[in-house]
Amino acid sequence: MKLRTISAARYRVLVDTNIEDRIRQDQIESFGRLMAGFAHDMKNHLGIIRESNGLMGDILGMGALGEDARLVERLEKSIASIERRVAVSANILHHLSGLAHRPDTPCSSFQVNDLIEEEYAFLERFSRLKQVAVEWELGKGLPALYNDPALLQHIIYRIYSQCLGVMESGHILTLITAQDGTNTLIAFRFPRTSRVEDNTFGNDILLAAITKIGGSLERVENKDDTIDIRLVLSSLVEEDTE
Amino acid sequence: MIKSKVLIIDDEIEFASTLCQRLKLRGMAAVDVHSGAEGIACLPKMNPGIVILDLKMPDMNGVDVLEKIKEYDPSIEVIMLTGHGSSGSGVEAKEKGAFDYAMKPLDIKDLLNTIEAADNKRSKV
Repeated sequence: MKLRTISAARYRVLVDTNIEDRIRQDQIESFGRLMAGFAHDMKNHLGIIRESNGLMGDILGMGALGEDARLVERLEKSIASIERRVAVSANILHHLSGLAHRPDTPCSSFQVNDLIEEEYAFLERFSRLKQVAVEWELGKGLPALYNDPALLQHIIYRIYSQCLGVMESGHILTLITAQDGTNTLIAFRFPRTSRVEDNTFGNDILLAAITKIGGSLERVENKDDTIDIRLVLSSLVEEDTE
Repeated sequence: MIKSKVLIIDDEIEFASTLCQRLKLRGMAAVDVHSGAEGIACLPKMNPGIVILDLKMPDMNGVDVLEKIKEYDPSIEVIMLTGHGSSGSGVEAKEKGAFDYAMKPLDIKDLLNTIEAADNKRSKV
C-alpha cells in the first residue's frame, strides 16, 4: 500500500524557505564542519596510539622481554587488542568524515550502497542496543544517483529508527537495495509486529523530506509475515521536484 | 634495504618521533622535525631522498612545503600524510608532485611498501 501523501499546499508550508530554514541550514553546515574537525583530530590521536603500540610490538619482537613466553604472549595479546580497536575506530572516523562533509555539496552523484554503508557505521549501534540483527541484500551494479545525499541519509536514519521502534529484541532487519526499472529501491524488511500501525511511517516532516528528494514511501506486507518499508527514488532526479 | 634518508615532517611530535624510531629500528636513516619551516631548513643539511610530510601543519600548508621541496630538489620523493576522510586532498597532492599519500592512522606495512617503492624509483634515476 502506498503510504499517505501530503497535499501540495501542505508541502509548500513545510518547505517554505524562510529565514528559520536558512538558519537551520547554516547550523547543519556548522555541525558538519565541527564534526569533520573532530574526526581529523581524532585520527591524529589514533595515529599516535597506533605508532606507539607498533613501537611496543617492534621492541617486543626484538626480544626485550627475554625468554618469559607467558609474559610475551600477554603483551602480544594486548598489543593486538589495541591494534584491533584502532582499526575499528579509524573506520568509524573515516565514515564520520564522509558524513560530516556531505552537507558541503547539497546535490551530487553517489552510489546508494556506499551511502548506506557509510551511515551504517553509526546506525549499527542503535540496532545492537535493541538486540536486532542487521542483514544486507545490496544490489550490485546499481546506477549512481544524483540527489541530496545528506538529506537521503537523514531519511534513512529516520526510517531505520522507526523500524527499530516497532521491532522486538531478536528480530532481524534486512536492508535491501535494488533497481526497479528507472527507480532505485531502498527497503527495510522486518517481521510483522503488533506495533506497526497505519500511520507508523507517515510523519509529515519525513514525508516532506522524501517528497523533496523526489521519492515515495511504500509499505508492503509480504506473504512470509514480513513487512517491507520501501523508499523508492528515481534514478534520475531533477533538482526541483515540485 | 632502503638507501634513501627519510625525513619526517609533522607537527604532532609524538607521532613523528615514534614513527622515526620505528623506521630506525628497520635500519633506515630517519630524522623527524615538527614544522614546515624546520623541514625546509633541514634539506641542505640532511639531503633526504624521501620526505614523509603532513598535509596540515600550523605554520605552513603541506602542499606549500611540497612545492618548496620540489623546488630544492625535484628528485626527492614526498609521501603526504592526510587525516581527511576523503582521498581528495591526497590526490591533489599527487597532482602537485607527491609520490603518494597515506591516511592517518598509518598502516605501517603499507607505509613501508610505499617507502620501498619511492626508494626504488630514486635508485632508477
